Amino acid sequence: MARAVSNFVVAAALVATTAYATLYGSIDAPPPIHSDGYSYFVYLPSVFIYRDFTLERLANEWYGGPYPAYTGLRRWPSTGRWLNLHPIGTAILAMPFFLASDLLSVWSNLPRDGFSLYYQHGAGIAAVVYLLLGLTILRHLLRREFSDGVVLATLICITWGTNLFHYAVFDGSFSHVYAFFLVCVWVWLVEAWWQQPTLGRSLAVGAVAALNVLVRHTNLIFALVLPLYGVTHWRDIRQRAVDLAARWRPLGIAAVAGILTLAPQLALYKWITGQWLVNAYVTHGIEFSFGSPHLLAVLFSTQKGLFFWSPILLLSVAGVWVATGPTRALIIPAIVVFALQTWLIASWPQWQFGSTFGHRGFTDGLALAAPFVASAFAWSARHRPTVPWIAAAATAAVLLSIAQMIQYWIGVLPQADTTWAQYWDLFLKFR
Amino acid sequence: MTAGRTWMKWAAGCLTLAVVLGYLYDPPWMGGVTSGLRGWEEDPPGTLFRWTTGRATFFVPAGATTMTVPLRAVFPGPNGTPVNVEVRDDDRLLANVALTDPDAWVRPTFPLKRVAGRRRFRRIDLRISRVVGPFFLGIMTGEVVVR
Repeated sequence: MARAVSNFVVAAALVATTAYATLYGSIDAPPPIHSDGYSYFVYLPSVFIYRDFTLERLANEWYGGPYPAYTGLRRWPSTGRWLNLHPIGTAILAMPFFLASDLLSVWSNLPRDGFSLYYQHGAGIAAVVYLLLGLTILRHLLRREFSDGVVLATLICITWGTNLFHYAVFDGSFSHVYAFFLVCVWVWLVEAWWQQPTLGRSLAVGAVAALNVLVRHTNLIFALVLPLYGVTHWRDIRQRAVDLAARWRPLGIAAVAGILTLAPQLALYKWITGQWLVNAYVTHGIEFSFGSPHLLAVLFSTQKGLFFWSPILLLSVAGVWVATGPTRALIIPAIVVFALQTWLIASWPQWQFGSTFGHRGFTDGLALAAPFVASAFAWSARHRPTVPWIAAAATAAVLLSIAQMIQYWIGVLPQADTTWAQYWDLFLKFR
Repeated sequence: MTAGRTWMKWAAGCLTLAVVLGYLYDPPWMGGVTSGLRGWEEDPPGTLFRWTTGRATFFVPAGATTMTVPLRAVFPGPNGTPVNVEVRDDDRLLANVALTDPDAWVRPTFPLKRVAGRRRFRRIDLRISRVVGPFFLGIMTGEVVVR
């Protein structure tokens, strides 16, 4: 079993490579950079190929002026400058792969246009690599507390029982697998920082939290894991405030690192709009409606309900009640982050998040769910009669998720607005 | 792990990288690679074409001595001005073609210089002076004939 856990990431790499090659391996396959992925990626060709951080030159060269509507890039009304819906974090993380693609394009005599063959696959491979890095860290976190069998079952459930694999392979140019990786790093760093707040850890805490905000601004909520880590009763909050005050110096260092990491995005917003902080969706007339959230729909509906499409995550809810040991330090942070995340997603007018497999709004935080899935498995292992039932239910949930992911890939499942009637009509049909 | 095994792993990694780079210098499938071109369409029946965006790239065999590229503007330039197409062969300027009649197919033939390198294909880049929304169409390009 220990060997299976050790080899899990290699096995995941083989499966991901095979799936990616099947989807995008042929010359006439659709481009891996598509839909929202375009606007996450567009900073890289604009800066490194067209030598222009304003995004203007690329628009002129490719589209004769305006960006296509699907890209979500709009001119800010008062300045006429291009404002991207999506911030720069994903592009920063994908940058090494982009630069390698650029060098390889020169080597192979492909056009250095930012979107030709190697740039497309560079973005695709980057997503797979970040999935594998995230899984490696998650395995490390889980292994310290749980048995090899529990760790292996949890890694399989998180990778294939949710939409994580889909967002690493099919929609890898989107931000979600990058955020998954960062949240894995974040949980690991927070724990290390509370053990010993060294200078390096403090700098890393600030940089990683800020980078996660740059990947997706609403990921600011994950920063709450830091002050809440280890708080196991609400009455501990006062003591936690005292602990944080005692660590004002490392917190200050983290804050400086965070602000420096955020600085390029803030400067860009200031230059484009005249404001340091901007809701880029204003250019599309979209804003949160916090008073009327679609809470039940976001969690349980056939459209994009989190637990409907990833029922394995119900184990994480059960895991909160049965968690023991170090995982208990994450109970309150996970509950608070999940509650805020659900409320934010449910308050968004397009709460389905467009064309997606499962609900992609929750993919970023799967690293916080994983220890509780593991806790549920560990509880089951301690209560032997439940093992066959839990194992059967988990296997069925993972197989169903994989089947539905393939249905989505081949266009059988609707991309959004799935009704109950449609779901049953298409249940396990592959043509 | 012994130093010998580490050295062997590094050597194997470097060798693999060298083999991959050697292969990617001139892969046999490069002739089918395009960028900035949509899929093939047919209009009228029998006439195949592809839409470009503002840039388009395709590859032709390195040994070709001439290349004929059918081009059609469809949409005129601003104020009825011609649509200009810059044609480059492996980054060298080959020609500037002005498409004055939006409805007419133009079939310019370009002489191609002998390629000095060892590659099987040469890269042809088109840069189009105007793109028309909402579908961001540049010009129509037909089937390229090389000799």
